[in-house]
This record gives sequence, structure tokens and C-alpha cells, in this order.
Amino acid sequence: MRSFTRRKSLAITATAMVASLALVGCSAADDSSDAAASTELVVGLLASPASLDYSTTGGAAIPQALLYNVYEGLVKIDNAGDIQPLLAESYTVSDDGLVYTFLLHEGVTFSNGSPFTAESVKFSLERVADNWTANGPGYLDPISSVDVVSDTEVTITLSTPSNSWLFNMAGPVGTMFSPDGIDDLATDPVGTGPYDVSEFTSGTSLELTERDDYWGEAPFMSDVTFNYYADATAQTNALLGGDIDLISALTAYQLIGQFESDDDFAVYEGTSTGETTMTLNNQSDAFSDVRVRQAVMYAVDRQAVLDTVNSGYGSIIGSMVPPTDPWFDDSLVDLYPYDPAKAEALLAEAGVSDLTVSMKLPNLPYAVDAGQVVKDQLAQVGITADVTTLEFPAVWLDEVFTNHDYDISIIAHTEPRDVSAFAAPTYYAGYDNPEVMALFAEADASDEETFVELMKEATATMAEEAAADWLFLNPNVTAADADLTGVPLNAPTLSFDLTTIAR
Amino acid sequence: MLLTIARRIGIFAATLVAASIITFLMLSILPGNAARVALGIDATEAQVAAQEQLMGLDRPLYAQFFDWFGHLLIGDFGTSTVSGQEIGPQIGDALAITGVLVISSVILALLFAIPMGILSAVRQNKADGVIISGISQIGISIPGFLFGILLVALFAVKLKWLPAGGWDDPGEDFVGFLEHLILPAIALGSVQGAVLSRYVRSSVLEVMREDFLRTARAKGLAPNRALMRHGLRNAAIPVMTVLGLQIASLLIGAVVIERVFAIPGLGSLLLDKVALRDLPSIQGIVMVLVALVLLLNLLIDIAYTIVDPRLRSAS
Repeated sequence: MRSFTRRKSLAITATAMVASLALVGCSAADDSSDAAASTELVVGLLASPASLDYSTTGGAAIPQALLYNVYEGLVKIDNAGDIQPLLAESYTVSDDGLVYTFLLHEGVTFSNGSPFTAESVKFSLERVADNWTANGPGYLDPISSVDVVSDTEVTITLSTPSNSWLFNMAGPVGTMFSPDGIDDLATDPVGTGPYDVSEFTSGTSLELTERDDYWGEAPFMSDVTFNYYADATAQTNALLGGDIDLISALTAYQLIGQFESDDDFAVYEGTSTGETTMTLNNQSDAFSDVRVRQAVMYAVDRQAVLDTVNSGYGSIIGSMVPPTDPWFDDSLVDLYPYDPAKAEALLAEAGVSDLTVSMKLPNLPYAVDAGQVVKDQLAQVGITADVTTLEFPAVWLDEVFTNHDYDISIIAHTEPRDVSAFAAPTYYAGYDNPEVMALFAEADASDEETFVELMKEATATMAEEAAADWLFLNPNVTAADADLTGVPLNAPTLSFDLTTIAR
Repeated sequence: MLLTIARRIGIFAATLVAASIITFLMLSILPGNAARVALGIDATEAQVAAQEQLMGLDRPLYAQFFDWFGHLLIGDFGTSTVSGQEIGPQIGDALAITGVLVISSVILALLFAIPMGILSAVRQNKADGVIISGISQIGISIPGFLFGILLVALFAVKLKWLPAGGWDDPGEDFVGFLEHLILPAIALGSVQGAVLSRYVRSSVLEVMREDFLRTARAKGLAPNRALMRHGLRNAAIPVMTVLGLQIASLLIGAVVIERVFAIPGLGSLLLDKVALRDLPSIQGIVMVLVALVLLLNLLIDIAYTIVDPRLRSAS
């Protein structure tokens, strides 16, 4: 299986190299015409937004296109993963960590012309509790009051100190809206960002146009189109054929060689927050015993899975924490080395023999590929996995996520800092350890140093108790025309930030 | 005559109503909750419940159906539960694209099938006739989507002559529109062209054996001229039946081809909406598809009577 994939990718690479050699001569003429349209950018993406309203529609696709491009908050997460002021010129935090004072930029307007002031902050944040259903309205629960001091100053008081609160304020839930700009959020977003939505064809494309009245530094690209593709091959062909300029979050890892071997393209490999997770249903008969879960951990050769599914791109993390988070603990990476003998011993200790489990996979290529490898590896230690694939998202969400009717499933969790959500007993993993939940709560209310220590403790406990098998972390791979600069390397948030890209 | 028309319209309407009920029921049996799909894996059950209320999914199924149906009667497709967009204009835009694609591929199919079919019939035992038959046999065997992928690999990725996918509005960029149309139209029309050429061939072969053609030749017409004057009109009838059926299957084939080429047509729209469990949108699209297929059958019936005067008196 593995050697087959490699051979195939070699063949594809070879074909691409021959093709690109043959093309060197005739593509020179095309390049000059591209240069003329230098402020237009076409980005190829996979998942398309179902609507443009991320207050009532979840998923990564809407914030990917709109956050920091069309919508802005008081703060943003920069590409290194640090919190930076955005609509706030600066902010201060009181010593007890309860009162945040934001000084706002002057002269900021929304794309409908309305001014952005402290009143907009109050309006936007107070709107969340009653009007948001998606993208974590609960993230703002720590807020007890929002007080307007002047047009350009606002204080936000929290009921308890929270380390995650400001981070979340940089995400969708911290977006600033105008009271007269929320009538048609699903199709006509009104934000303070550098771009405005000019056209949205559901499922196909989203066009952004630069605003000439943007308060900050103008972006380099005046017109940006996001094209959405049904599969990675179509997306890759579009870049190879010159229809698009850039692929963000490229997942067709076996095709990366085509771009690396071609001087017309540049490939960037950065970090993401997408942990490809093999969830074990902690509440199921099969996996309620921690020893059985640990046996699975020893039975799975994660490097082999990574090699097959991602052609080796990505890294083994051992917990639900990417190395870009301060509480990443690299001692967890080797917590469960590949050791089938130990797996068998643990199964014997638990009194389990001839175990048959249901493996329900979403019909996504990476999940199906990973499932096949894991199934073979589990068979080596005497665990039989009955594999079924479920339509994603609808059926998978229904059967696995909502009804918990599964033993094993595989899915990438792309949200940043999602480990504490994963530990909730009601979550689909069914992992139930009140001490871990208490640690997360305590960590959030602690000073920064204690915060990191407690987060480490909680995530290590989850790994030791094999709450899930975090198979690997996906890289953030971008393939782009070689003449593009300022391409965001990492994906520390869901946003694909266009503001730095130039040609 | 009036009675026939009234009956036709009656059947037309009844079929639409039946199709709408079947779609509605099937989608309600299908696992998956539009509210959960919309919110994804970060939302709590309480948030999903709130979302269901927002989308109007908490109402009984029959209420949702009659609400939708009532609006449809006055020509209103309603708004999408998921995207909040008006469904009617969305379907209109997508239909215009799929329509252009299907019509282009029919024209391409006919341009290939008629001359090739006639040629392979006339020269049935000669080498070129056999080669043409062979080509159409291959055309039948290769699924359109695979042919599409091969076309993209060659003409878009390797030669970079044509775009790999996407769509341009003819009003904005007509050359771009044609460039985007060529590959998908060929991919979609290839199987139909091959199938049709087989029908044209066998139909022409049959006609060539008819008495009236022998008579025409006996009167002194050259074989080819006899075929052109008397044969083709007769050979056209069975071909048209197949063509009518094929346009219906082209509409369905477009669903797949639009995916391969990332074309924002009715097929892409339908698949997106099914994935989102966007019930009113799916209903609207299915209604349009059913209506189109029914309409096509009607048109083919009318076309028969034009081509074959014998059928006029029969009806």
C-alpha cells in the first residue's frame, strides 16, 4: 500500500517534471501578461463558505476568507501566533486581570460608511450572547460589562480573569459590527477591514475588492478572488494551469513535488493548528477501559500513518497541542512508541481478546487513508476494525458527533486551542475526568506562568489516559506563483490574512 | 386536441407535486441535521437547538412543506435556510450556465455523430467505416468525468492552452467564456456523441435497406443523393427519440462534469445544497430539473410530428 503510493507520486512527479521542462519555452510569454495584472490575486481553496455569516454558520471557510480581510476586531493574532492590537491602538490590563482598557484608532469607518467608535464595541460584544449560535459565543462568557468611556476608549470588565478571553477576542467572536450593517450578514458583510465583499457565488467563488476608505495601511492586492474546488486535484490543476495564483492549506501532499520541481512556483511549509485526531469513544464498551485505549496507542505506528496519508508532511505531536502553543510538551511525542507487543500485553491485562470495533470515518480522503493504515495495524494486535465511511459533514456529524454511535473515528480538529473543549464529558470523545476540567478552569484564571504549567498538566493527563490518539499535526502548506511575496507562512488562526501578500 | 393539452398539463403538474413530496420525504429520512451542519463541531446542543429555531427546522415537517409549496405556487422559491440567499435567482444563474453547457455539448455531439454515423453506415465494410465505429465504441466506454480529467491533464495542465476549470460570464469576457466552455462541453458531449453516432449508423443502415430507397435509386438517383433526399429524414426519427432521452441524461451528467471543472451550474449547486441539507434549495433545484425533463419530452413529441407527417394524423 505504502510503496504503491510512493511509486505513484514518483510517477506523477516525473510526469510533471517532463511537462514543466517542455513548457519552459512557451510559458515565458504568459508570465509577462500576468505581471500586468499585478494587483489581482486568485486564491484556490477547498471548503467553500455556506454563507458569509460566521455568527450563525460554523466551519473554517468563512473566517478563512473574511477574518482580518473584511472583518476586524480590537486585536488580532499575528502570523507568529502573538496577540497584536488591531482596531485598538493599544490596550492595558489591570493588575488583577479583570479590567481591560482599549484605546481605539480614530477615523475608522465600516464599509457602509458608518463610523467605528466605542459604541460599536459595546454593541458588537453585547450582541453575541443572544444572536450568535456558531463560532463559540461562550468564549465571551467571562465579560461582565462593556463600558464606553469616550468615542475612542472602552473598558471591558471580566467576572473572572481569563487567559483565553483575549485570544478568543482576536477570533470571529471578537468581530466589530455596525448596528446598521447587520441586516444581511449572510450575503452582505459590513466590517472595518481592508476589503469589502463584491460578489459571492455560493459554493464557487467569493470576490473581495479593496476599500478606498480603509483606515489602515492599504493592502497590496486590490482585487482578490477565492475560488473553491471540490477536490484537491482540481485545485492543483488550477494552479498548474495558471487559473489561480495560490493554494492555501494545500492537502494534496503527494502533489507538492510538482510545485517544488517547477521554478514558476514556490512552496511554503509552516505550522497550523490542525491536529488529525483518531478519536476513541471513551464511553463505548470497547474503550471505556483505559488499558484498551493505551493498547491502541502502542499498536499504531503514527509515523507510518503520516507517511501514507501526508507523504511525510507534518509532525507527530502526542497530544492535542501544536508546538506553537506555549504549553506544548515534547516529552509527550514519544509517550506511546510503536510497540505491538506492549499493546498485546495491555489487551491481555484488560482481559480483552478478539476485540471488534466500529471505525466510522468521514468520507474525506485523509481520513479514509489513515483509517486503512490504522485498521491494518490494529489487526496485528488482534483488534478487528469494521470500517464504514459516512458522508461528511451531515451524516458523520449526526452519527458520530451527535449520537456518539461509534468506537473509532478520524477527523482533523482545526480550531486553535481546542484541547479544553475536547476534554468536556459531553463532547463526542466522551472523555470524562473532572480533575482535568478543573485544571483547565484553574489555568484560565491563573497568571500567565501558572497558566502554562497547568495547561501542560491537563494535556499530559489527557495523553496519559489516551483520551484520543492525536495522530499528527498537519503542516500549513502554501503553493504559490514564485513572484508572490508576503505569503503567510503559518496558520495560527482560521483566517487567511491577505494583507501582507504582494507581487 | 384541447383535451390532450389539458391532460398533458395535468400530468405535468401531478408529476411535479409527486416529485416534490418524494424529495421532501427522502431528505427527511436522510440522516443529517442542517442546523448541526451549519454550526459544525464547536457548537453545543443548546446552540444547535437555537439554530434550528432560527432556520425554522423546529416546525413540523408538513408545515415546512406547505409553507414551501405555497410560496412555489406564486413563483417564489423562498430563501435558503443555510445561506440566507434568495433561491430563485441562484437557480436562475446556475441554470443559465448548465443550459449553455448542455446545449453546447448537444451541438458538439450532433456535429460529431451525424457525419460520423452516416459515414460509418455508408462505408460499413470499409476500413474507415470500421475505424469510426471503433472510435465511437471507445467514446461510449470512457465515462465523461474521466474524459474530462484527461482533457484537463493534457490541455490545461500540460499544454496550458485552456483553463482547468471555472467559468466566465459571456457578457463580461466572451473569449474567456468560450475558453472555459470548450473542455467541459467536449467532456460532457463525448459519450453522447459516441452513443448518437451508433444510433445514426444503425438507423441509416436500416433505412438503406428500405424499399422506398431502392425505388428512389431505381428511378435513377445516385445512392448518396437518394440517401440525402429520402433516407435521412426517415433515419432521424429513432435518433431524435434517443436524443431526447440523452438531453435528460446530459442534465444529470452535467452534475458530475461541473464538479470536475468547478463550474457554478445547477449540478454544483445541487451537490452543495445536499451536503448542507438545505431543504428548500434542494427542493427548488429538483423541481426545476424535473420540469426541464418533462418539458424536453414534450418538445420531442412535438418535434416528431414535424419530422414525420404520419404521426400528425395519428394524434
